[in-house]
Amino acid sequence: MKKIVKSFYDYLDERLHLDDLVHFMGKKYVPIHSHSVWYYFGGVSLFFFIVQVSTGILLLFYYKAGPDLAFESIQYIMSKVQFGWLIRSIHGWAANLFILSAVIHMFSVYFEKAYRKPRELTWISGMLLLFLGMGFGFSGYLLPWNELSFFATKVGSDIAGAVPIIGEPIKILMRGGLDVTGATLSRLFGFHVALFPGIFTIVLGIHLILIQRQGISEPRRIAKLDQKEKKTMPFFPNFMLRDLLLWLVMLNLLAILAVFFPAELGHKADAFGSAPAGIKPEWYFLFMFQSLKYFPAHILFIEGEVLGILLFGAAFALWMIVPFWDRKSSRGERNKLINYLGMAAIMFIIVLTILGWIA
Amino acid sequence: MKKIIFIIFTLVLLNGYFSLKAQTLKSDDQCYLCHEQLGGVADLFKKDIHFQKGISCAGCHGGNSKSDDMLEAMSKASGYLGVPKGDDISLRCANCHAKKEMMQKYGSHLPTNQLELLKASVHGKLSTTGKEKIVQCTTCHNAHGIVSVKSPASPVYPLNVPNTCGKCHSNAKFMQTYNPKIAVDQVAKYRTSVHGMLNAKGDPKPAECASCHGSHGIRAVADTKSQVYALNIPETCSTCHSDAQYMAGYKIPTDQFAKYTRSVHGKQLLEKHDISAPACNSCHGNHGATPPEVASVSKVCGTCHALNADLFSSSPHKQAFDKAKLPECETCHSNHEIMPATKAMLGVSKEAVCSKCHTETKSTKGYFVAQKMRNYVDSLDVSEVLALKLINEAEQKGMEISEAKFKMRDVHQAKLEARTMVHSFNEEKFKEVVVGKGLSVSKAAVTESQAAIADYFFRRYGLVLSILITSLLALTLYMYIKKIEEKQASKL
Repeated sequence: MKKIVKSFYDYLDERLHLDDLVHFMGKKYVPIHSHSVWYYFGGVSLFFFIVQVSTGILLLFYYKAGPDLAFESIQYIMSKVQFGWLIRSIHGWAANLFILSAVIHMFSVYFEKAYRKPRELTWISGMLLLFLGMGFGFSGYLLPWNELSFFATKVGSDIAGAVPIIGEPIKILMRGGLDVTGATLSRLFGFHVALFPGIFTIVLGIHLILIQRQGISEPRRIAKLDQKEKKTMPFFPNFMLRDLLLWLVMLNLLAILAVFFPAELGHKADAFGSAPAGIKPEWYFLFMFQSLKYFPAHILFIEGEVLGILLFGAAFALWMIVPFWDRKSSRGERNKLINYLGMAAIMFIIVLTILGWIA
Repeated sequence: MKKIIFIIFTLVLLNGYFSLKAQTLKSDDQCYLCHEQLGGVADLFKKDIHFQKGISCAGCHGGNSKSDDMLEAMSKASGYLGVPKGDDISLRCANCHAKKEMMQKYGSHLPTNQLELLKASVHGKLSTTGKEKIVQCTTCHNAHGIVSVKSPASPVYPLNVPNTCGKCHSNAKFMQTYNPKIAVDQVAKYRTSVHGMLNAKGDPKPAECASCHGSHGIRAVADTKSQVYALNIPETCSTCHSDAQYMAGYKIPTDQFAKYTRSVHGKQLLEKHDISAPACNSCHGNHGATPPEVASVSKVCGTCHALNADLFSSSPHKQAFDKAKLPECETCHSNHEIMPATKAMLGVSKEAVCSKCHTETKSTKGYFVAQKMRNYVDSLDVSEVLALKLINEAEQKGMEISEAKFKMRDVHQAKLEARTMVHSFNEEKFKEVVVGKGLSVSKAAVTESQAAIADYFFRRYGLVLSILITSLLALTLYMYIKKIEEKQASKL
């Protein structure tokens, strides 16, 4: 067996010079410290993305976009297609877990100040990937064309439409018209399976190249240590195999969730029906949705909801450019403000999500 | 003989009393004295109950009835009002008839809300001229010759009511000024009804127009307060028909209303307020109310239950029932106390209506057909219960079972169709519906839900297996990592 593998490797090496790559990877090291565990969440996010692509392609074999066929095709997938239920349920769960692991990855990078020079672009590309992930979530939510997805898309696009000046054009762009119709479904389907995956792949490529090029970031306290005091492990094969081990655990988790909590379908969307009671967006939008409820109708001359959206927009923008205004961390100095802001953001998200959930 | 002499003596005395009273009034009432010379209304007024109670012309027309000077008596200064016109007519009547103390003064116990009721009625609300309402008191009671309602001479005496109402209601030209679509054949139909025929024979007890529609407060049929609004009809009819004392002598039962309230029709109408459900008039007619005869029962029921009636008419039972002079629908379903048609009516058990005629020894063909038909229905019921149980179980397990659930609508539809098809009394046709449309679908739903439940367990067993394989792989990988790391450590 070993001989066969080796001869196959030699065959490829002769043509692709794989030795150079293996040599490069073999020289890459991952720091070992008390917070090393957070390094794995980038790989876990990648795993969920791969799962999403694989299951998404399988669903595409049967899914038919269109207000007359979408719901029925999902119903068909769930009841008639062999393991269709499993593929759709895994797709649904992996989508949520991707966002969760990406958020954890983002906060771990934030608190370790791994975004500091020279990794500003890695941070920005990562944030873009997170936003794209949310875009995947929003666009994919409508595809089953059920009551919940229909009205959630209506509410979600209405919120986007409340943004001054650019809101209305964005809303029309999202909906493919003035209201949520079959045109919205076709459009969001296009976003979900073509536009977003294309952009995501490019940004992900940049993100991974940057990581490989710049190596894994060391926390400030580790970076300060003498080279001899630092503990590391080779990226290949040690870290990669550990990543793979975690992927297998995640695969088990996905299977358990898909079997015990399969994706639901609900009732087919009816544009003339009333919105189902207690309509809520996906959990990762819930904190924003809930926050907007607390804004009064008007604050001075501006509508409360508009102000809320603008504030969130400003907060996300500031968050995205944190490597550029957190100069202290880039200089290798300690910046407590960043930690306080991060903790406040986490508390805010958790509390508002819980309030939104129980509301 | 003694009795006849007593009656004649009494009549002579009464005549003397009223003549004396009229004479007394004559001497005081200058209006009457003058108008008597002229004839006409004064002659009528002489018979008027108001005249007999001592009420002068001035009671309605105003003026000074004691003055023999015509100019003075009929002057404005004397309060002369002249001939009332339009709505003023009813208001003049109400001057006394709406005042209890005034009525008591003349020894009357009549109600004093007539004008109030009239104003709320369809007659008191509608108008073509815009100046006066359709009906004034005098329209029905006359003006100068008003007599007691109990008097056969009164236009509102029960025997006269149909013609009084018919004066307008049978006049198409007059009625179309108010409602071009309104029927004008009510009196003609009434005369064909049992009520109308008895009325024509001089019996004042059977219902006439006012018995059902009311008198002063007549409302439109569509008005929920009307006595003949669909929901109120059974109660209105029962006023007489449930009164055993009142109905004594007519030799008909008085439990129809009680039975109707227990019936499927009664519950639908009186409890669920479904005005499309039949009330008394739906089967008996309203103005031409007559009990449907044996031959016409199925036609009456068939106005709503059209398919059932058609199937029955072309079934072998039609001829058999006609021969035995059995009322068609009523024989199995009864009349006033019609209960929901359940499967218990079908078959050969004691409760089944089929067994009334078909037994193992008598009319045996029908006996075996009924038995088979009941078996089909029972099989469908059993299969439906099982299918619903399994669908529910599969749903509880989170399985996608909407298609099977949707199929159960066909089973329900087949059961509904079977309730109609049973009236063909044709086993093959019945089987086609119950087995072909119902049982086959129900069985398919059972199979689908069983497969869904089996799939539920397959998923769990599959999960256990996949977890075992993945975990084994993970464990191998872990061991491999350990091995590599140990190797690396030993090199250092």
